[in-house]
Amino acid sequence: MIAHNHILGTFDDALASLRNNVLMMSTLTERSLDRAVTGLLQRDDELCVVAIADDEEIDQLEKQVDKDGVDLLLRFQPVASDLRRVVSAMKLSSNLERMGDQAVNIARKARKLSRHPALPEAEFIEPMYRHAMSMFRDSVEAYVREDVQLAMALKPRDKALDEMNANASRRLIERMAHDPEQLRGYLNLMFIARHLERVGDHATNIAEDAVYAAAAEDIRHQPLTTGT
Amino acid sequence: MVTLLEVPSTHVNTTTPPPAVDPSAGRRASVDEESAEAIIQIRDLDFAYGANKVLHEITLDIPARAVTAFIGPSGCGKTTLLRCLNRMNDLIESAQITAGSIKIEGVDINDPGVDVVDLRRNVGMVFQKSNPFPKSIYDNIAYGLRIAGITKRSLIDEAVEKSLRSSALWDEVKDRLHVSGYGLSGGQQQRLCIARALAVEPDIILMDEPCSALDPIATAKVEELIRQLKTRYTIVIVTHNMQQAGRVSDQTAFFYLGRLIEYSDTRKMFSNPAQRQTEDYITGRFG
Repeated sequence: MIAHNHILGTFDDALASLRNNVLMMSTLTERSLDRAVTGLLQRDDELCVVAIADDEEIDQLEKQVDKDGVDLLLRFQPVASDLRRVVSAMKLSSNLERMGDQAVNIARKARKLSRHPALPEAEFIEPMYRHAMSMFRDSVEAYVREDVQLAMALKPRDKALDEMNANASRRLIERMAHDPEQLRGYLNLMFIARHLERVGDHATNIAEDAVYAAAAEDIRHQPLTTGT
Repeated sequence: MVTLLEVPSTHVNTTTPPPAVDPSAGRRASVDEESAEAIIQIRDLDFAYGANKVLHEITLDIPARAVTAFIGPSGCGKTTLLRCLNRMNDLIESAQITAGSIKIEGVDINDPGVDVVDLRRNVGMVFQKSNPFPKSIYDNIAYGLRIAGITKRSLIDEAVEKSLRSSALWDEVKDRLHVSGYGLSGGQQQRLCIARALAVEPDIILMDEPCSALDPIATAKVEELIRQLKTRYTIVIVTHNMQQAGRVSDQTAFFYLGRLIEYSDTRKMFSNPAQRQTEDYITGRFG
């Protein structure tokens, strides 16, 4: 964490504003994902509609973070940890925007599902959702606290989410064979599982950016070590 | 025929980055096995103006044919150290090295047997403010050659052209070599001073904030020149401009209160410095 202030108060203000917008994006994205999945599980069409509409605000914030980040680079030419903080904030916002898109995708498919009789297999989604959201919250927490250990732990958790997705897909394909009339519904559930798996990927990306910001280490595209 | 600007065979070509300073080793910036590749070896150097000690136990290896930047706040000793490298401080009464040594190509430059004029020919210097002689462009460059006893016109002509080409000034002044150097712009004057330093065939060029009085275009030209010159010369530059240090140098040394705090590859220094004081200084959180 930054121990003391920059000589230029305007730099501290600009960096704080950038960071606040990223955190606002994170809050809105989390809310959208929650509304989309709750809309699915409770067959609440209105919640899904709100989740879809909220994406506009996340998109606008992404543009604002990019604009402020470029402005900050242009005006202050930051180096070392300052530069890493600006770069990681901009990369975070991109990942958060993509997560917001996943919320929209889930909400759209939930709306389609709610037009037909409920499928009990929708329950496959809930554990995946809890796992993905726990990854999401921890990745943002790691970024905020510059907690390298917490961030590093995200990669193996993403692997677990991938396996949950593979399991859910396998079980849904089995159901399709038994009940071809509900094929469209099972396909939508498979897509939703896939969107949650992508949420885990973005959370992992955020964790990687958190490590870069805190420790100047690039941990992307590294194989998982045994035992993790 | 040997030309005046032929690179001496004593140059050691190395791309080995300097070892990072290990704080536990008393800020030493070298290890013995690296010394063989360094053209300048500074060891445990203390320097004082009278009773005022301004450099403390500086140990630093500067590699050949690379650009080394000295950075740090005003009064940290970076210019004093730069001036030690060609004994410019000899001109200041009561200023003296009180401990340690500086070797250039293995020779202790403070040895009584060293000819200071020869040393300064080998270690040229470019100052903060361009300081051409009140002479023509041609004579500014020929001056040092004539002092060195070279009188043959063809040799001097050749050296003048070569120096001006090396300093990227030839095309701008070739048709007015005999007009006053004062008639050039600030940036051109600074490059003329670099050409003047090159004419006497140095191994090392010291630059003390060479762009501080120049506009961005002239600064860019000098920086591009530094990039070209480092293939043939060892360059040590003092700069207050962090971005400039980041752009032109291969390694950077950070000084604070007369001590070497950190010495490392420039990329490393500006992306992830090892020392907290360095981080605070380069990010603008100093003091």
